[in-house]
Amino acid sequence: MSGGDIKLVGFLCNWCSYAGADMAGTSRMAQPAEMRIVRLPCTGRVNPLLVLKAFQEGADGVLVSGCHPGDCHYNEGNYYAHRRLELLSRMMAVYGIEPERFRYTWISASEGARWAETVTGFTETIRPLGRLNLAGGGARDDDHHQGPAAGSASPAEKR
Amino acid sequence: MRIGVFVCQCGTNIAATVSTERVASAAMALRDVVHAESIQYTCSDPGQRTVIAAAHKYALDRVVIAACSPRMHETTFQRTMAQAGINPFMMEMVNIREHCSWIHSDMEVATEKAIDLVSMGVAKVRGQTPLFSSHVPVVSEVLIIGGGVAGIQAALDIADAGMPVTLVERGPTIGGNMARLDKTFPTLDCSSCILTPRMVEVKHHENIRLMVNSEVEQVRGYIGNFEVDIRKKATCVDEEKCTGCQICEQKCPSEAPDEFNAGVGETKAISIAFPQAVPLVASLRKEYCRLYIKGKCGICKKVCPADAVDYEQEDELHTEKFGAIVVATGYELFDWRQAYPHYGGGLYPDVITSIQYERMLSASGPTGGHIQRPSDGAEPKEIVFLSCVGSRDESIGRPLCCKVGCMYIAKQAILTREHIPDSRTYVFYMDVRAGGKGYDEFYRRAQKEAGAVYLRGRVGKIYPRGGKLVVMGADTLVGENVEVEADLVVLATGIDAAAGAGSLAQRLNIPYDQYGFLSESHPKLRPVETTTGGIFLAGACQGPKDIPETVAQASAAAAKVIVLLSHDELETSPMIAEVNHMRCIGCFKCREVCPYHAIEEQGLRDGRRVAVVIESLCQGCGLCTVACPPSVISLRGYTDNQLIEEVTAVLR
Amino acid sequence: MVSTAYSYYPGCSLTSSATEYDISFRKVVEALGIQLDELEDWNCCGASPAPHHKAETLGVLLPGRNLHIAGASHDAIVAPCAGCYNRLKYAQYKLAGDQDIREQTSEVFQAEVRYQTEVLNIVQMLNREITPEALRERSQGRLANIRIGAYYGCLLTRPADILGFDSPRDPRKMRPLMEATGAEVPHFPFKTECCGSYMGLARKDILLKASHRIIEVAVSTGLDALVTACPLCHQNLDLRQEQINKAMGTSLRMPVLYFSQLIGLAMGISPEELELDALVVQPDMDRWLKGVA
Repeated sequence: MSGGDIKLVGFLCNWCSYAGADMAGTSRMAQPAEMRIVRLPCTGRVNPLLVLKAFQEGADGVLVSGCHPGDCHYNEGNYYAHRRLELLSRMMAVYGIEPERFRYTWISASEGARWAETVTGFTETIRPLGRLNLAGGGARDDDHHQGPAAGSASPAEKR
Repeated sequence: MRIGVFVCQCGTNIAATVSTERVASAAMALRDVVHAESIQYTCSDPGQRTVIAAAHKYALDRVVIAACSPRMHETTFQRTMAQAGINPFMMEMVNIREHCSWIHSDMEVATEKAIDLVSMGVAKVRGQTPLFSSHVPVVSEVLIIGGGVAGIQAALDIADAGMPVTLVERGPTIGGNMARLDKTFPTLDCSSCILTPRMVEVKHHENIRLMVNSEVEQVRGYIGNFEVDIRKKATCVDEEKCTGCQICEQKCPSEAPDEFNAGVGETKAISIAFPQAVPLVASLRKEYCRLYIKGKCGICKKVCPADAVDYEQEDELHTEKFGAIVVATGYELFDWRQAYPHYGGGLYPDVITSIQYERMLSASGPTGGHIQRPSDGAEPKEIVFLSCVGSRDESIGRPLCCKVGCMYIAKQAILTREHIPDSRTYVFYMDVRAGGKGYDEFYRRAQKEAGAVYLRGRVGKIYPRGGKLVVMGADTLVGENVEVEADLVVLATGIDAAAGAGSLAQRLNIPYDQYGFLSESHPKLRPVETTTGGIFLAGACQGPKDIPETVAQASAAAAKVIVLLSHDELETSPMIAEVNHMRCIGCFKCREVCPYHAIEEQGLRDGRRVAVVIESLCQGCGLCTVACPPSVISLRGYTDNQLIEEVTAVLR
Repeated sequence: MVSTAYSYYPGCSLTSSATEYDISFRKVVEALGIQLDELEDWNCCGASPAPHHKAETLGVLLPGRNLHIAGASHDAIVAPCAGCYNRLKYAQYKLAGDQDIREQTSEVFQAEVRYQTEVLNIVQMLNREITPEALRERSQGRLANIRIGAYYGCLLTRPADILGFDSPRDPRKMRPLMEATGAEVPHFPFKTECCGSYMGLARKDILLKASHRIIEVAVSTGLDALVTACPLCHQNLDLRQEQINKAMGTSLRMPVLYFSQLIGLAMGISPEELELDALVVQPDMDRWLKGVA
């Protein structure tokens, strides 16, 4: 991977944030090059396990971005995403991952500048943290750390 | 598996910062890639021909195109695939322009990133399977909700195209707010002279079925195949028998508020809304009727020469099928009284709303076209108009512009001078918004010909003094406080969506805003569509509009409906959710989260109850895939495996 | 020890220009059997100038000290002066919401600042201590001969998000008790119009014009008296009424009572005890109380 040592993954919804990132490009807004964007129909499609999988496979930061509350193309997908991802972000430390390495945000199709700022800010947050070391028991002292169990429901639905 | 990778140079748009040759040669090293090349303009005709030729030459079954945003050219290249004999969904676009060459300047960095992105695209397309659109039959009948000028226009346009239309109106007559207007700006056309012929046309059109006193209760189904429950409310009058003779109204002893006339004057419990009502049929309002309040009367039944009065009448519930729905529920005026206690909050009878004033201006109105002070019936000489009451007022949480206030104030000022030549009119305004053909000229006419005095500032207080109303405001252009002693004050009140628009939107599963205005799918490019396929918007239900705009949008919605229903079948996107029935545990968590009610329960032969996706309803958001506890729902084109492969392609 | 009594913060006006407000308030409270403990060693609330001092915290420190003292012994502090009430609420709002200010204040006080004592104005307090039904019972329509209007001014209701007391445009919290006195309370459109406030010092002409209009509308509304809970409003409307008439060439007469005086009258406390004779514009008590035993 190019653009420095760290690897960042962005899960973007097709309708708002992906279009926002397109707009940042159309407006030629310079951004750090560590981000790799994955296009999805909706942040509601983002399984928290997918985020954990990305960390497990070597991502040093994961950013999820969707439509602003109320603007979801599918009416309410981002509300579900919000619940799932909020819970996930609180769980990060438990998994031995610094909470700053995971972020979710809402960026509309017209907010190219905001996307550029978000990527820049996120990259600058992760750079000083360096590579994520999960194999060595996690970045935090946590003797009970276990990797995410595959195949179970996302936490949000298990209310 | 034989994958071809095509790296677009986009002239210099990509090639200036990404070495497309290097990207192509790096792609050749990826698993299952049998061909990779760089093309100058892939989307151009020669570019597409190059892709098709390579597909044939190398017997490709999957293609990755590294170029601009898929939001730009995904459809283009899907068509190219079809021409090349490859399933259109076996193509993945990789965005190396907006997300790479345009945002990085270092050739080395950008090229390496582009190689990463291509390997992600290759990893994803490897997991792709051919997908096929399905077809659903379409019902050719159209439902229009709301019988104002928008609903009338849409109904006539669609019916003229030969499609059967059902026009559902909540009130006893069609015509909507426009029927209450005296004149229209900027031409001063008589409103009912231009509207009532259209209303009659609706009544007599062979393709239109008119249902008044009716409301939409439930909506099921999906584009092309809606099933709608419509409740026709009992009015105690047989619509077929009633001749509109109004004898019942003349004899009825129960007074009732006159909603058509905005509370100016009274009507009877049994009445027709106005003389040109369509249908011209009386209806009875039980809440004001002596028979229902005191248990004794029945005069209307006795006097009716057509034997049309029927106290036993009950609501009727109709269930009908429609292919498309046009929502044209219109607007109502903001109730200003709570929000403006400093204008008396309704305590002063001579502070009225513009629609009340409009009814007084109308020759067929309750005052026979005479402007009268409600307090004493005298003819007012000093009349003050206040713009933006409930509009553009952050202090009461209503920042929206009503869009028509400035113009109808100008109209009413001009008409006032015609009705009372020795009157003086004052207009307190925020800004005069007169953008429209002939609008600014019209507003100037109000000043020059009608002598209206325009004062820029909001009114702070209205209070009574010696039989007059003191209007305390500011002229912010001069920087001074202004006081006008008025005989009558007319408030240009703001506009809200019609009452109940929000709950109707919920039944239709379409979004709406805090004022109840229904949301269009895209503010610029899809202004009459909603985010639910097959449901369209017309008129002020979508936001404040004047008549020309409303009519234009109604015709636009009609055109969209006609396009939709011109096909016997609809093609549906195959990128939707799919349940693996073998592993479904029947918990139906998917059904709980589905925004489109696209999951239904089905029994299998072994007795298990499983979830099934209704293909024509599913919009492919993927919410259910995450909610599924055993993870047995997959979203075609975005399966778990595909996403994991895409992500891990560059991480491992 | 926390007492059920109210801590009482009179402020400067009630000990100087508005002693009748202080006295009538104490009488009413006494008649209701409520204990008032005057705040020990109270200081200036900051009034209008302190918040505008270049040391930003002065507007919090001054009223904050009063809150701090009250907090040691009482759950609630009552400030009949609308200005004092306003300043105390402002300090409380700042101390609750701004950690920097809270820390600075604690540093000055050399103790963790106590700011959570409930701050009440006179209308809130009396509404809490006597229901309209109870007052109606006590007054027996005593003031049925008169028409009165509430004049709220500005300090009692604005800024609404800090005070959280009543609508700044259409305040109504005085009305239930005023109606319970037996008096008629017609709609008074000028209940929040500016009285001119402290313009009396710099531009008296503005003040006289503003106050004149309030009196004028009160007269044209057919009121026998205005009722206020603000000493500054009272000063502008009552004390300056002669100046107003002189400046505007009018001969208006409009008694202006304090809220406590009105409630006291309804409860049967004598006009003398309520210091009604301290008013510049004297109400015609004979007519007011005509027929009352």
